[in-house]
Amino acid sequence: MKNGTFYVEKASIVHDVDPLSKLLFVFVSVGVTYILSTHSFVLGVLAITLLVLLLGKVLQYIFPIIGLSLVLIFSIIIVQGFFHPDRSTLWFTIGSVPIYKEGFSYALLLTLRVLNMVCAFGVLILTTKPDDLVQSLIRKGMSPKIGYVLLSVLQILPQMLAVTGKITDAQRSRGMETEGGFITRVKSFIPLLTPVVLNSINDTRDRSIALEIRGFNSTSERTFLHETNHFKYGFVIKVLLAVSLAAVIAWRIFI
Amino acid sequence: MTKQSMWSLKFSTAALVLIPAAIGINYLGKLFAELLRLPLWLDSIGTVLSSMLAGPIIGALTGIINNIIYGFTASPISFVYAITSGVIGLVVGIMANKGWIASIGRALVLGLVVGVIAATVSTPLNILFWGGQTGNIWGDALFATMITHDLPLWLASFADSLVVDVPDKIATVLVGFLIFKNLPKNLTRMYDSRSEIDRL
Repeated sequence: MKNGTFYVEKASIVHDVDPLSKLLFVFVSVGVTYILSTHSFVLGVLAITLLVLLLGKVLQYIFPIIGLSLVLIFSIIIVQGFFHPDRSTLWFTIGSVPIYKEGFSYALLLTLRVLNMVCAFGVLILTTKPDDLVQSLIRKGMSPKIGYVLLSVLQILPQMLAVTGKITDAQRSRGMETEGGFITRVKSFIPLLTPVVLNSINDTRDRSIALEIRGFNSTSERTFLHETNHFKYGFVIKVLLAVSLAAVIAWRIFI
Repeated sequence: MTKQSMWSLKFSTAALVLIPAAIGINYLGKLFAELLRLPLWLDSIGTVLSSMLAGPIIGALTGIINNIIYGFTASPISFVYAITSGVIGLVVGIMANKGWIASIGRALVLGLVVGVIAATVSTPLNILFWGGQTGNIWGDALFATMITHDLPLWLASFADSLVVDVPDKIATVLVGFLIFKNLPKNLTRMYDSRSEIDRL
């Protein structure tokens, strides 16, 4: 989880789009690849998603994120490619291992979908500040308390990681072994985790008192620090997305 | 102050603040499991713990928010499993409330049930999104073996999830149970919406 999110601060058209439209884009982009499952269509959607990333000037940042999903993609290619139940059309043979077309065709479709899913989420997470997304959701009626919970995770994690380093060192200095046989390693899991857990649960007491003094439970209407909405193109994009979704559904039903 | 049921949607501030802490614990569990090279994920200890402390709704929220945050900061694939995480929190919360964390034996049963339910919820997601695999080497090896022997896809995929989820969830619930039982009472009471004292 590192210290922060994947957000990349840049000035681009995609950064100027409001977070909710981008959220809708993710759902539509992922959804249509499951409604219409032909290779060329999914490839087309992936191309559009990559184009959006390029417009957002964040194309180069998507590759490490795709890298995180490589295990899954390899697994899809190997398992579906070699073991797919439908084995009728022989494609070619490697040594004595027969390779069938159906499996690889299916594996390719799944891989394209996964890539599109990762890239579509990439559009959202690379070009949207989490604060902006949460604020937009609160404006749409999400509870501000849940908004606080979402954002505070990002603040609490680095603190907990800092404490963890100290605790690991402290336990090691008391003779805890983190290397060695399996049993030794299992045994040191609890002494590592328990102090951090205790510490962080203890902190929640202080934090909740601090919040309540500052009116966290107040029932009066919340106001925003930034009243003006600086995002653009929201309406056009939402209409465009709704029309494309409807068109894809119609295509699936009628053609 | 009146007694509240475990389904109450009126969260105390302490219970809400528990959510980010629990998500941090999830992350640290995973981190330590990797550091110690344990063969399990152990990435939902915080979710389990928050369900035991503050009930099914907070547990489910912890699970869902955990995967959303994880999707934003580590891997977008985890958005897909937000439902599974939410259900884990829900099940642990309900069963803990019904007395299934009274002893270590019962906690084992709870772990088993959570593992089977997690696998059941993950299977349709795995089939829909990646044709049935989990991305775990051992599970996928079993999956490949089963579909070569012409067993139905859903069965192979369910077995794939099962061999991965059950041991992991049993270990997770046990660790959560051990930590929960060893927490000082003045901390656990803070989240217990049924008790009338020490509530913030």
